[in-house]
Amino acid sequence: MKRTVLVLAALLALCAAVIPVAAQTKLKVWYAISGDSGEAFKAMLEKYDAANDDVALEYSYSGNYGDTATKVSAALVSNTAPDVALMAAGPLYTGARNDFFIEEKINEPDFQKNDIYPGVWDYAKFNGRVCAVPYGISTPVLYYNKAVIEKAGISLKNPPKTWAEFAQVAKTAQAKGNINGGADFWGFDVTDVGWLFKTMLNQNGNGVISVKGGKITPAFNDEKAVEVATFWEKLTADKLMAVGQHSNAEKKFLAGNLAFLVATSARVARWSADPALKIGAIPMPYFQKPSVALGGNVLIILSKDQKMKEASWKLVKYLASKENQTAFALKTGYLPIRKSGLTLPAAAAAVEKNAMFSVAFDQLDNSWSYWHFDQMGTMDQILAQTIDTIERKVRDPKAALEKAAAELQAEIDG
Amino acid sequence: MNKKKRKRYPAVFIFLTLSSLLMIFPFVWMFLSSFKTSADVYSYPPQWIPSSFQLGNFLEVFKKIPFLRFYANSIVIAIVQTFLQILISAMGAFALTKLEFPGRKKMFTFMQSSMYVPEVVTMIPLFLLASWAGLVDTYAGLILGGLICAFTTILLMSFFEIIPNDLLDAAKIDGCGYYRIFLQVVIPNSRTAIGTASLFAFLTHWRSYMWPLIITNNVKLRTLPIGLKYLVQETSSEYQVLMAASLMAIIPVLLVYMLMEKEFVQSITLTGLKS
Repeated sequence: MKRTVLVLAALLALCAAVIPVAAQTKLKVWYAISGDSGEAFKAMLEKYDAANDDVALEYSYSGNYGDTATKVSAALVSNTAPDVALMAAGPLYTGARNDFFIEEKINEPDFQKNDIYPGVWDYAKFNGRVCAVPYGISTPVLYYNKAVIEKAGISLKNPPKTWAEFAQVAKTAQAKGNINGGADFWGFDVTDVGWLFKTMLNQNGNGVISVKGGKITPAFNDEKAVEVATFWEKLTADKLMAVGQHSNAEKKFLAGNLAFLVATSARVARWSADPALKIGAIPMPYFQKPSVALGGNVLIILSKDQKMKEASWKLVKYLASKENQTAFALKTGYLPIRKSGLTLPAAAAAVEKNAMFSVAFDQLDNSWSYWHFDQMGTMDQILAQTIDTIERKVRDPKAALEKAAAELQAEIDG
Repeated sequence: MNKKKRKRYPAVFIFLTLSSLLMIFPFVWMFLSSFKTSADVYSYPPQWIPSSFQLGNFLEVFKKIPFLRFYANSIVIAIVQTFLQILISAMGAFALTKLEFPGRKKMFTFMQSSMYVPEVVTMIPLFLLASWAGLVDTYAGLILGGLICAFTTILLMSFFEIIPNDLLDAAKIDGCGYYRIFLQVVIPNSRTAIGTASLFAFLTHWRSYMWPLIITNNVKLRTLPIGLKYLVQETSSEYQVLMAASLMAIIPVLLVYMLMEKEFVQSITLTGLKS
């Protein structure tokens, strides 16, 4: 009996050694999106996990964009970084560390990198090189309150093309469209001043920053930028836009106390789903050329060894596929990043249901982004403060922009 | 303020009433918003009273996040952290006020200066230490990360200084060692101080967000402040659901305050502490 047991044990040990056991690759994924967006992303991860026996995903919400940046920074120095992260400013954690693994992988034929809008790719670059995959992308969209426009007797069948034309339309809307009859009624406002200002700069031929030999310098203090800032100042001077009330702009707009609002394209899905809201959208006006600045999050790979990197890439490829990214976009309010995504029945149905989708999707052809650089967060803060000083007439546009550029340059120079 | 004083100082009475209203305003707003519909929340000018009382907002919280798990974690972690922090701080305060040893003053200065270092600066080195010690994604990591607090020690020191040294000398003559003096003389004479310090410590740990977020990846270990963030939408906001969750989240804090109110008011009277 004892001998039989020993033989059986030896056979079992032999089997364990000889028969290859499919090893599971454990991938850690962090994502910086919460609420319904976080749930939609999690559902995709769950689906991938269930469909791939060779992979086990450990996923976790990592806080908002700022929190995730801190969490990833701490994890990188302690060698506990996730394999994949969905976060804003992702290139600062890959490209800035000279990790361009993704740049090679996007050339794989089945990834179809040319299907992704070129402007969207710029949002995933550090020093001119791709080091992330764009994912939850949004642009600013110009919305209008239908009731206000109707009362003002304005037709937007041929919407204003330039900002000068738009200002005239907004003035008419303000003069004739006050549906609530209150004193706090405005023609135009914006929720994110820095985002729109950068959009306007690029429309006027200013690239916000200039890159020469890998060196970044602020470019938002030339004549073209001053033109934009002067236009902005006029919006408030003419009392078309309230001074420093941008955080309240969305509430005013939804309550019918604002005719036009520039807000994220992510609002399209939300507002379309609410039958009580009568909102429309028109293409973003421009100075010299149509353009909208991109925002949002990207997927990055932080795995250490090659095997894990390959497994992570497989996951990233799955998430960024035409079907999956478009489904994520339509569920969450982000934009489809692939041109082919717009041909999917779900995307066509969304456009059919509400023309605002069409406005947001069409803008992707003119989407634009500057490359990521270390001080870009600081630049956004500086620009927001600068616009505030212009609105409040603390400084004239030229002086304000000169000061802002000098401040950013000092930050870059350390 | 009694009736007689109200008559004598009407301006002070009005000022205090207005200040109280200002302080209570966010809580009233939170309470009312937790029953609002989405349309009520986004109305402008703001709508105070909900058009219909939506109890469903509270149910929605439980559907969207593992609220009870987050709640239980927060309660356990905040209580354990508070207990340990008070124990460590009280021992430190006792040593710094009642014992003579070389470098005592320098140690106090060093401890004081640590209060001026922002949390975000120490976060990454602290995480590095926790990671080396294998404390990432553990309750131990969650608890140990926020234990040391110079403020609590300094607060307790100000109380311990009042305890007469003669009392301690008498205990020594009776044969007490340092630990016995600490436990049987100092602590029983400092209930008010410990109550106040506990309240501050509990509040800090209950609200703590960044450290629990960094040290945990497993959703089962996460606490309420992170749980509330799960409810914040990226592309829209169900503010009313967030307010319902926040309303439920402040209940333990209110309970702790009600239990400690007497000690807290006494401590303010004794030390002149105002914030």
